[in-house]
Amino acid sequence: MQPTASYLRSFLLLLLLVSNLLLCKSVASIPVCPRGSVRCQVSLPDLFDRAVMLSHYIHSLSSDMFHEFNKQYALGRGFIPRAINSCHTSSISTPEDKEQAQQIHHGDLLNLVLTMLRSWNDPLDHLASEVHSLPKAPSALLTKATEVKEQNERLLEGIEKIVDQVHPGAKENKAYSVWSGLPSLQTADENTRLFAFYNLFRCLSRDSHKIDSYLKLLKCRIVYNNNC
Amino acid sequence: MDFNIDSTGFWLFLGHSPPGKPEILKCRSPEKETFTCWWKPGTDGGLPTNYTLTYHKEGETITYECPDYKTGGPNSCYFNKKHTSIWKIYNITINATNQMGSSSSDPHYVDVIYIVEPDPPVNLTLEVKQPEDRKPYLWIKWLPPTLVDINSGWLTLQYEIRLKPEKTAVWETHFAGRQTQFSVLSLYSGQKYLVQVRCKPDHGFWSKWSPESSIEIPSDFIVKDTTVWIFVAVLSAVICLIIVWAVALKGYSMVTCIFPPVPGPKIKGFDTRLLEKGKSEELLSALGCQDFPPTSDCEELLVEFLEVDDSEDQQLMPAHSKEHRSQGLKPTHLDPDSDSGRGSCDSPSLLSEKYEEPQENPPTFHTPEVIKKPENPEANITCTWDPWDIHLESKISYFHAGGSKSSTWPLPQPPSHHSPRSSYHNMADVCKLTVTPVNAAITLLDKTENDAVKASKTVETGEEEKTGKPREMESSPSKIDQDIAWLLPQQKPLFLSAKPLDYVEIHKVNKDGALALLPKHKESSNKTEKPGTPETSKEYAKVSRVIDNKILVLVQDPQAQNGALLEESAKEAPPSHQQNQAEKNLACFTATADNCRLQMGGLDYLDPTCFMHSFN
Repeated sequence: MQPTASYLRSFLLLLLLVSNLLLCKSVASIPVCPRGSVRCQVSLPDLFDRAVMLSHYIHSLSSDMFHEFNKQYALGRGFIPRAINSCHTSSISTPEDKEQAQQIHHGDLLNLVLTMLRSWNDPLDHLASEVHSLPKAPSALLTKATEVKEQNERLLEGIEKIVDQVHPGAKENKAYSVWSGLPSLQTADENTRLFAFYNLFRCLSRDSHKIDSYLKLLKCRIVYNNNC
Repeated sequence: MDFNIDSTGFWLFLGHSPPGKPEILKCRSPEKETFTCWWKPGTDGGLPTNYTLTYHKEGETITYECPDYKTGGPNSCYFNKKHTSIWKIYNITINATNQMGSSSSDPHYVDVIYIVEPDPPVNLTLEVKQPEDRKPYLWIKWLPPTLVDINSGWLTLQYEIRLKPEKTAVWETHFAGRQTQFSVLSLYSGQKYLVQVRCKPDHGFWSKWSPESSIEIPSDFIVKDTTVWIFVAVLSAVICLIIVWAVALKGYSMVTCIFPPVPGPKIKGFDTRLLEKGKSEELLSALGCQDFPPTSDCEELLVEFLEVDDSEDQQLMPAHSKEHRSQGLKPTHLDPDSDSGRGSCDSPSLLSEKYEEPQENPPTFHTPEVIKKPENPEANITCTWDPWDIHLESKISYFHAGGSKSSTWPLPQPPSHHSPRSSYHNMADVCKLTVTPVNAAITLLDKTENDAVKASKTVETGEEEKTGKPREMESSPSKIDQDIAWLLPQQKPLFLSAKPLDYVEIHKVNKDGALALLPKHKESSNKTEKPGTPETSKEYAKVSRVIDNKILVLVQDPQAQNGALLEESAKEAPPSHQQNQAEKNLACFTATADNCRLQMGGLDYLDPTCFMHSFN
């Protein structure tokens, strides 16, 4: 290749990286503390706004993935009955309606959210890699799986910040549910594998909806004093 | 005998059957706190069928039955808050039971978070706001549906409004986000608008559209008024500018169009500049070579002109111009400034004497066959504006003033008296003749009277002369009788060589048609003019009377040397003061006429010198 072509390619790559960084920084208009800062304090409303935005986005992605998977792989397979009560986060007791959610203390609710978010770190990570093994996987499914994984990590960080502000000095909660569905995702049996995926997508969709609902309740309660 | 009837068989015998399989249509939650399911019953089998809804919750083994069959309407089941669990899958089944049997629907799995469809927003209010410095706009306000809990954040709604003028068919949709109000700026004034709103939860279905609300947008008179007036003013200014510009450019032509200038009298087709320049030939051509009937101008000229009667004998009749009233022998086309001997038509004495005579016979001007209209190459020469022609012809007219059937001097007749047979050609010629005879009469008294005498001699010859007059007739009206015809050719050579001559004034015309001519210039000028041109040294002979036909009795009048009398042979009207000498000249006249003619090689004109010799 001519040196000019290689120059051009390297220049374009550099341009892409820079733009990526800039764009990534500007995705969220909410001010972000630079890394490593100790005393930086983004306001709670801003934190909550960003958190709600992320949770809403994550659920949208999850819901889309679930529908796409159903459309492509799960129709007529009777997965639904089998999937009842099979999420790995079912052990986490969560409020089942609005009244129950409103009765929980916001700190506890936040911890609940944190636990769920941590529980999904690992499954999402494997999902993003294992979804490629699906036969004729739609590209949208692949990109969304990766996206959900990233956004979930960001939301986790945000909620941790919120917890620091809302409940400073609280015992740091590290609990999470362990996911052990990886062998199912990698099994040779197609039906088993597909069901494993189906279940994963369904649980993810539900849990992301829970997180989104809880955070919106918390936001309206904490930031707007129940007057959204 | 054991008569055991199976009930089922009995019912089947009657045509009944177990119920058909019901089907769950849909389940909906309006606020993510309760939900309702509706089913469609199958065939009832002809028997009253009982429908029950049973369900299982996710993670539980208990089978529940629908808590409320009524709230949601028929074939529905309403799950209130107590019986609703979010984030749990409900396994719902409908059971239809009748006497024949029962049937169950397929299980329907429902998670409430996925079936949220709120009610439409409520309290849709419309208001037209008209700020002073802005256009009016429509302000739309509404409230979220009553059941939805927005404040706690349990549901987050997004709204959408749509509006349209009442008569249009297409809705205009706007996404309003999470706010419960909206402003619409693009409105048509004076129309009635319909507005609707709907909402959607953050993860749910759109609601139905709210009922229509209408509002009348008032017509914006102020703005319209101003705009209209401004438009009208601008348009008027533009129109005024255009008119002013058009008037400026075409003002003169427009004025002339509206108020056309009064045309001055002029000869049609005659360029007055020719007179100024003194180009006689062009002048003659201009006057003589017209091929349209003479205008009224010509008619006025043709006072006391000969009227050629188109009878067999081709006799000339004295013209009785109806326009003898007109004084004007059309001097307009005669340049009055030049005293070139062409003669002035509007000589008063000339005219007055003219008027006396031609009263009795209004002769008709007939087309003389003899007098053709030859194709004279020298059109200029033959043009009536030849002064000689004018002189002679006018004289002729006087001689023939009496105008009988005898061949006297034909008076030029106004073209109006022409016979219908006359063609336009002849009319044109007549027009020409109208000019010429007038002057001819005047000039007859002039020195060029010699030529006139010559011409008169040729009268005796009669027809021979007439035939040779085609060229001359070109200049004179072809309608003039043969008697005149011969005159003109004779005059031609004289005209060619002649310089402008003095005019003679007709003293009087007696009843016999004799003209008494007086030299005009004698009064105004003197004999000095005589030597002016060699031509003017000619002596004129006075025609005393006319004998028989075509015989002129000439008398040399020493007093009126410059005047000459030519009498048409139409009448024997010797001038009263010239009678004594006429007879002796008569015979010679005739003879000399022939001689002169012969001398000239057959040309049909007379040399005045011949006459003089005869006299002397």
